[in-house]
Amino acid sequence: MTDQEIWIYAEKHVGIIQPVTYQLITKAKEIADDKKVVVILFEATDKNLENNIMEYGPDEIIVVKDDRLKDATDSEIANLMAELTKRRQPNSILFGATVVGRSIAPRLQAKLGTGLTSDCLNLAFDDDFLIQTKPSYGDNIMCEIICPDHRPQMASVRPNTFAAKKISNTTTIVTEVNDLMFKEAERVKIIEETPLLSKSDSIANADRVIALGRGASDDKVISLAEELARKLGAKIGVTRPLTDHSKFSGEDQIGQSGNTVTPKLLINVGIHGAVQYTTGIEKSELIISINKDPKAPIFKYSDFSYVGDSKDFLEGFLKVIQ
Amino acid sequence: MSLKIVVCIKQVPVSNNLKIDPITKNLIRSGEQGIMNPYDKNAIEAALRLKDEWGGEIILLSMGPQDFEITLREGLAMGCDGAVLLSSRQFGGADTLATGYVLSQAIKKIGNVDLVLFGRQSVDADTSQVGPIVSEFLNWPQVTFVSELHSHSGKTITATRLLENMQQKIEFQLPAVITVRREMNEPRYPTPRNIQQSYKKDIQVWDENNLSVDPDRIGVKGSPTIVRSVWAPEKEAKSTKYLNGSADEAIRELLIELNANNLL
Ligand SMILES: Cc1cc2nc3c(=O)[nH]c(=O)nc-3n(C[C@H](O)[C@H](O)C(O)COP(=O)(O)OP(=O)(O)OC[C@H]3O[C@@H](n4cnc5c(N)ncnc54)[C@H](O)[C@@H]3O)c2cc1C
Ligand SMILES: Cc1cc2nc3c(=O)[nH]c(=O)nc-3n(C[C@H](O)[C@H](O)[C@H](O)COP(=O)(O)OP(=O)(O)OC[C@H]3O[C@@H](n4cnc5c(N)ncnc54)[C@H](O)[C@@H]3O)c2cc1C
Repeated sequence: MTDQEIWIYAEKHVGIIQPVTYQLITKAKEIADDKKVVVILFEATDKNLENNIMEYGPDEIIVVKDDRLKDATDSEIANLMAELTKRRQPNSILFGATVVGRSIAPRLQAKLGTGLTSDCLNLAFDDDFLIQTKPSYGDNIMCEIICPDHRPQMASVRPNTFAAKKISNTTTIVTEVNDLMFKEAERVKIIEETPLLSKSDSIANADRVIALGRGASDDKVISLAEELARKLGAKIGVTRPLTDHSKFSGEDQIGQSGNTVTPKLLINVGIHGAVQYTTGIEKSELIISINKDPKAPIFKYSDFSYVGDSKDFLEGFLKVIQ
Repeated sequence: MSLKIVVCIKQVPVSNNLKIDPITKNLIRSGEQGIMNPYDKNAIEAALRLKDEWGGEIILLSMGPQDFEITLREGLAMGCDGAVLLSSRQFGGADTLATGYVLSQAIKKIGNVDLVLFGRQSVDADTSQVGPIVSEFLNWPQVTFVSELHSHSGKTITATRLLENMQQKIEFQLPAVITVRREMNEPRYPTPRNIQQSYKKDIQVWDENNLSVDPDRIGVKGSPTIVRSVWAPEKEAKSTKYLNGSADEAIRELLIELNANNLL
């Protein structure tokens, strides 16, 4: 069978396609073999986000344009996806494991009566089976999940797991579909959307991050770290205990239940290195850690380690780069 | 106006030693017993606050083996009114689809439910799929990953939903399904009086004969996904270079390395 399709749900927030969509296109192309990579895009009539998506070279983009899609709810999107799925019978459907992906995908799964694997860290095809690798128990174990007897095979994939690559000469076909039934959801509506001046967005995308743990929670140490961050053009992230500090919130947290960071340079100050934290930093290029305890597990994840005091280290750093 | 609320909760193993000391917020290692999925406490707390405001009744619902009673008792001790345990060999081995189906059939049987609350996800399998699946099977609105709730009339509720880089205000009418973030509230501790009363409360146990369920849609049979293999990833320690000497000396050495790697 050659005309099997892998679908990717294009996620957008306030009119911008989310990076995970592009990451999924690149990954899907890599594993597709003879399958077609098809992106499903829902947008308002005044938008042309297909032009952005095209740069990543999917085989096809199916676009549904309707002004009600500006603030469509989970169930409305799931209904439209289900209708499309019934028409074209894709082999697989991929979502970002984001709040939106994790909300729409299971709703669609229930409509289609098929399997869904959440938060995958790897995908591969073994013949026709999508082999989905996902972590469990707080990333302490990995498992391989398959959905042998039902189609489509559905998975959500953790953002920033794969790199997105632009393609220079693309031959993407854009297909507009405008005869779907838009079943308006009853009893629920989105009344307001506000972009968060997202600190989380910026640590997730920052090239340099200084991460503070409980061993760097003094106000003095925090202000030294802020000064160093300004000098290095770095963003500040924290471990979970520091989200209780008035300066920080869950938005700033790195780790399993926070952000995954992918900087070129990460400096961990006063961080123990619990697995729930280190899960969020594994994609960093160069990791430097400071901890007063020579046995701190964080050192196992670090390229450079310094056994010593947070405050001394930060003061020293600022002095040396003056 | 009073609300009938169902909170779905699950017991999770402590084999990964995931338990947080409520005071120090540290991980603590504990015995072999299962614990309540931590996010479910936030869902229970949200239910208790709605009940405080509007009156009504809170029923805990869990599908799992008999020993899930431990967790249901804990929920009752927080102040919930009743509990239903869905327990049967036939339910075993369920993936999220089969779990969501059985829970939704139980909610229909409980009847006249206004609101179903879930934690945002479990900390073992970690899927966050069961809430939306139940919502679809009930054909109710869902509002997921909620960090704030304001109820105006009991039947109309405004929720704040936090996405990665935006926030939505969503207005919805009951009946509906909500999944709750940790940011929503600080779960209360059971009071001695509630603990004592919880032992007088009855946990109903239902199996497939008490529910109207299609035998092909429950347990292993009703589960499209198969876990093919499970392993603990070996994390290879990086070969770390220790920086020696005083902080100043260490930083000078570090800066040479950073410059060499074009990182400054
Ligand atoms: C290692 C491993 C990986 C798995 N991966 C997948 C997978 O990718 N896809 C899949 O479909 N299944 C998967 N399963 C099966 C899945 O764990 C079960 O169906 C299950 O217990 C429900 O999913 P969850 O724990 O992820 O719940 P979540 O959807 O994360 O939990 C959300 C809410 O639902 C509540 N809830 C969950 N289960 C119950 C219950 N039994 N009774 C009452 N409330 C409940 C939780 O307490 C929580 O409040 C996996 C199981 C294991 C052991
Ligand atoms: C379900 C679940 C999800 C979780 N998700 C996350 C998550 O996403 N992110 C996260 O971070 N955590 C998460 N945690 C919590 C995690 O398990 C750890 O408790 C947390 O990461 C510890 O933070 P820490 O390293 O800052 O604090 P601690 O463990 O208290 O470590 C502090 C470290 O600082 C060092 N230190 C102390 N004083 C100094 C000094 N003066 N100079 C230098 N070093 C010093 C100490 O030696 C120690 O190693 C989660 C837990 C659970 C159960």
